Amino acid sequence: MLTMLEEVVLLAVDEKNGELRSTREFGTAYALVGAVFFDLALARKIDTDLETVHFIDTTPTGNATLDRVLAAMTVRRDLTTVRGWIEEIFLRRQDLEGEALASLIERGVLRHEVSKRLWIIDVERFPMADKRPQQHVKLRLAQAILTDQIPDTRDIMLVSIAEPCGLLGYVLSSAELANRRQRVEMLSNLETISRTVAAAILNLDASLRQTMTKVV
Amino acid sequence: MIQLTQETRSGWCVVNVRGRADGETADELESALRAALEQHSKVAADLGALDYISSAGLRAVLQAARAAEGKNAEFAVCALSAPVKKVFDMSGMRHVLRIHGELPC
Repeated sequence: MLTMLEEVVLLAVDEKNGELRSTREFGTAYALVGAVFFDLALARKIDTDLETVHFIDTTPTGNATLDRVLAAMTVRRDLTTVRGWIEEIFLRRQDLEGEALASLIERGVLRHEVSKRLWIIDVERFPMADKRPQQHVKLRLAQAILTDQIPDTRDIMLVSIAEPCGLLGYVLSSAELANRRQRVEMLSNLETISRTVAAAILNLDASLRQTMTKVV
Repeated sequence: MIQLTQETRSGWCVVNVRGRADGETADELESALRAALEQHSKVAADLGALDYISSAGLRAVLQAARAAEGKNAEFAVCALSAPVKKVFDMSGMRHVLRIHGELPC
C-alpha cells in the first residue's frame, strides 16, 4: 500500500507526459508535510486533538521518510501544537517530494527520465510505468467527493490534503468541484491536521500577497 | 483508559463510553461499536461520560458510522459532554453523523 505522501505526490504527476505539476510550490510543500503527519497518525505513532500533537509510539515504522520525521519530533518535546509541528517539519522538510518519487520509482509505479530543453536545461519527467495506482487514487477521491456516503479514513485524509494545494482539479472537472464544494469543505474540516495545513497555506498566500504589494 | 458497556433500551443497543477516546483506545472503541452493529440494527453511542476525544477517537466513531451505513443500520451519538461537543463542533461532525442531545430511546 502506498503511503499518503506517495499518493499525494502521485496525484501531482501528469499522466499524459509524466511532468510534475508545480509540487515544489510552498502550498503543496505544506500539504506534503500534512501527508506525513497523516501517515504517522495511520501508523499509530502520533495522535492530535484540536491543538496538540501526542506521541503514542516512537518506535520506527520501517519507512525511512516517516522515521526521519518521527525521530526529529521525538527529540523536541517542547514543541506540542499541531501548528508548531507543521511549521517545524515544513522548515526541515528536506525533499519529501524527492523521497516519495524515488519510492514510487522503486515500486515500479513511475519511471524517471531526464531530457534536455534548448540543449542545456535538464527536464525531469516521471512517466507512469503502471497507471493503476494513480487511477485507483483518483477513483477513491472521486467516490469520496461525488457520493454522500461516509468515506474511509484514508480517503477523508486524502481529500483534505489534496484540496488546499489544488490537486483535486486534476481529478474532477471545475463544474463537478463547484457542485460538490460543500462536501469537499465538510470532509476537509473533519481532520485537525488538514485544518492546520489549510490555515498555514492561507497565511502563506496572504504573506506572499503582502510582499508582492510592497514590491509593486 | 476507556470503559465500554452495552445495554439495550427500547430496541436500541446503547454503547456507554467512559474515559478517553484517543490513539491508544480508538481501536477498542471502534471494535465495540462495530460489534454492536453486527448484532443490532439500531446503535447509539452514549458519550456523556467521555472526558476527552482526539482525532483518532473521532475517526473511530466515524468509521463505525460508515459501517452502519454499509449495512443500513441506524447509528447515533448522544449526550455529548462539553469537551467532546467542542471537538465535534469544530470538526463539523454534525454534517456527517446523527447527533442527539439525549438518547434516542
